[in-house]
Amino acid sequence: MKRILAIVFILIIGFWMAKALDQVPFGEDRMLVGKYYLEHVKEETGAVNAVTAVVVNYRGFDTLGEVTVLFIASTGVAALLWRKKRERTAKTEGSVVLTTGARLLLPFIMLFGAYIFIHGHLTPGGGFPGGATIATAFLFLYLAFTVYEIDHKIFEPLEGLAGVGYVTVGLIGLAIGGYFLFDWIWQTWGIGRENIGRLFSAGFIPIIYTLIGIKVGTELTGIVDNMVKEPEEGGQ
Amino acid sequence: MSQYASLLIALPLFSAFFIPILKRISKNAVMPFLALVTLIQTGIAAWVFSEVYSTGKPIIIMTGGFKPPVGINLYIGHFAALFVLVIAVASFLMAIFSVKSVSVEPKDKYAMLFLLLMLGATGMISTGDLFNLFVFMEITAISAYALTAYNKTGEASEAALKYIVLGGVGSSFFLVGIALIYGSLGTLNMAHIAQLANLINPIAAKVGLALLIFGLAVEAEQFPLNAWAPDAYQEAPHPVTAMFSAFVVKASLYAIGRVVYILSAAEGWSSILRLLIILGTLTVIVGEMSALRQSNVKRMFAYSSIAQVGLIAVGLALGTASGVSASVFHMFNHAIVKALMFLAVGYVAVELGGAEMDKFEGLGKRMPVTAFAITIGAISIIGIPLFNIFWSKMQLILAALNARYTWVVALILGASLVEATYYIRLIHTIWFKGEGEKVKENSVLALVMLLLVALIMLIGIYPEPFWNVMQKAGSDIFNVAQYVKNVPLMGVSP
Repeated sequence: MKRILAIVFILIIGFWMAKALDQVPFGEDRMLVGKYYLEHVKEETGAVNAVTAVVVNYRGFDTLGEVTVLFIASTGVAALLWRKKRERTAKTEGSVVLTTGARLLLPFIMLFGAYIFIHGHLTPGGGFPGGATIATAFLFLYLAFTVYEIDHKIFEPLEGLAGVGYVTVGLIGLAIGGYFLFDWIWQTWGIGRENIGRLFSAGFIPIIYTLIGIKVGTELTGIVDNMVKEPEEGGQ
Repeated sequence: MSQYASLLIALPLFSAFFIPILKRISKNAVMPFLALVTLIQTGIAAWVFSEVYSTGKPIIIMTGGFKPPVGINLYIGHFAALFVLVIAVASFLMAIFSVKSVSVEPKDKYAMLFLLLMLGATGMISTGDLFNLFVFMEITAISAYALTAYNKTGEASEAALKYIVLGGVGSSFFLVGIALIYGSLGTLNMAHIAQLANLINPIAAKVGLALLIFGLAVEAEQFPLNAWAPDAYQEAPHPVTAMFSAFVVKASLYAIGRVVYILSAAEGWSSILRLLIILGTLTVIVGEMSALRQSNVKRMFAYSSIAQVGLIAVGLALGTASGVSASVFHMFNHAIVKALMFLAVGYVAVELGGAEMDKFEGLGKRMPVTAFAITIGAISIIGIPLFNIFWSKMQLILAALNARYTWVVALILGASLVEATYYIRLIHTIWFKGEGEKVKENSVLALVMLLLVALIMLIGIYPEPFWNVMQKAGSDIFNVAQYVKNVPLMGVSP
């Protein structure tokens, strides 16, 4: 009975939403603001990748917010799973093939992750996918080895430092250009104006994406680290 | 110069990111650092407030130097300037209270989440962009989930789980609503949406707005979606409960008011107001009825808070300028009173080990200052003359009469009657029951409570200057044409 009611209810909501969606001209020319982005990306931000330019430059405030959301998630997990003494409780070591494979693949994954976030303004990707790729490398180590643990003395301050760096870049923009998150490298200094489409261009996008990459990488690794550890017997 | 108001966002973010580094240097510095940052935030907010109210013009912050609607703008008008100050002051007071009341580790994580909760609410109030509103709502909500579960008891985890599930559903509704509006108008900037509102398809506008309201209603504690609130209020750390009630709810209510009024030119808009007024009325009735039977005082205050929030929603949905101003006044008054009451109840719970009704027997003899604070707060909420909430309830009643909603008057008066029943029962328990030895009260907290009490009486005796401020803040939400004019939109048009 409950199930039938739920199905009926969901069907009503679905119909209601479909009716509204029917009225929205998706796919037609509704590019009010979008057109502006496409036409002005190159001279205003220097990025070839329009998505990155929107994400970091035009709507950089949202990205700062998203970075914060991830930061809260990692802090929240750490706060909720906090115990005085916690250790890995994995029982079986991975097979030789797995451990050797992990060792061999590690530098490749790291390198590729770094490649993704450094080339954010040129190729698809950016800070979030790059950071997630790097975190995958650490996840690999956690899964393959029973004793592996990251160094918290480095990881937590690094995470904070990357965030502080992002806000500082924004504040320098406020001091130089007069606006928070102003792209001072591109708009005031004009560095890289002649080589759009190459690595050293697009103002502060590569810098911010590197910071985001580091931040996301350390945060996701921290979440994994917190979740695979259990309190020791007798520990609080 | 006015662009420096973006420090309101940058400072808490910077400080929250800085705490992991600070923790390496000195662990004991974290809590004083938290108090210091909130104090600086209060200073900036006070500067912004005086700037906006002396010039009469809103501060428009253009992030990245791009003009809206291409870039994101923050709009710190009369409403935002006022509530940013309320948020900062409430956070500062609660940061002081946290030093005393939060003993569960890890304190550094607590300080980060605390700052980000403040940041999220500040951003929700000041943003001028629909998607940015969503991002700040997520910041507020996710830090609220983590802070609810912070005490790590079974009940706290359960409360946080309820909250997280409902909040997740609400956020997805909100996002679908944004997609509908963006799909039909092609812009996310609120001023731009308001400008184009008469072009939007009526069905898309109605469904989109309803989805936005349902999404925000989880945070704003409106009836069918507020089941998480009593549990979360009861189990969260005491300062956090006060913050929920003082400004997290208010930020969401304001967001509801803002998104509703920017689309007021759309066809079929009045049916959305009707939806909101029904939600608000049900919230008042359910909240008051549940508060009657509570034996835990913190939970009772939580239900009472929900009921007050319902009144605010009803005021917002009256659809008139005086209704909006009256509910802004009620938001302001309720923020002060509930910050005071949750502070006092939390302090009692810390000292006496729990917030059940029997702990409050003889409180008048054991902790006289705290008991006095609770009593003043209770009297004020009932709406007795010479205290602040009398005036805001009065304005709500007048606004309802003007808007020809006579039954709303009955709702407000009935709610006050029920409030009187359970608050007078509490006051009776505090002063006329039980015996007890005197507990030494913390002088800083006593001072904070007395300051808030003084503020309540000040507004109660001289409501005029405050009411003038509230009318300006209310017209900031209601007068959409002025809002559009204030935002320097660049010429992107269909």
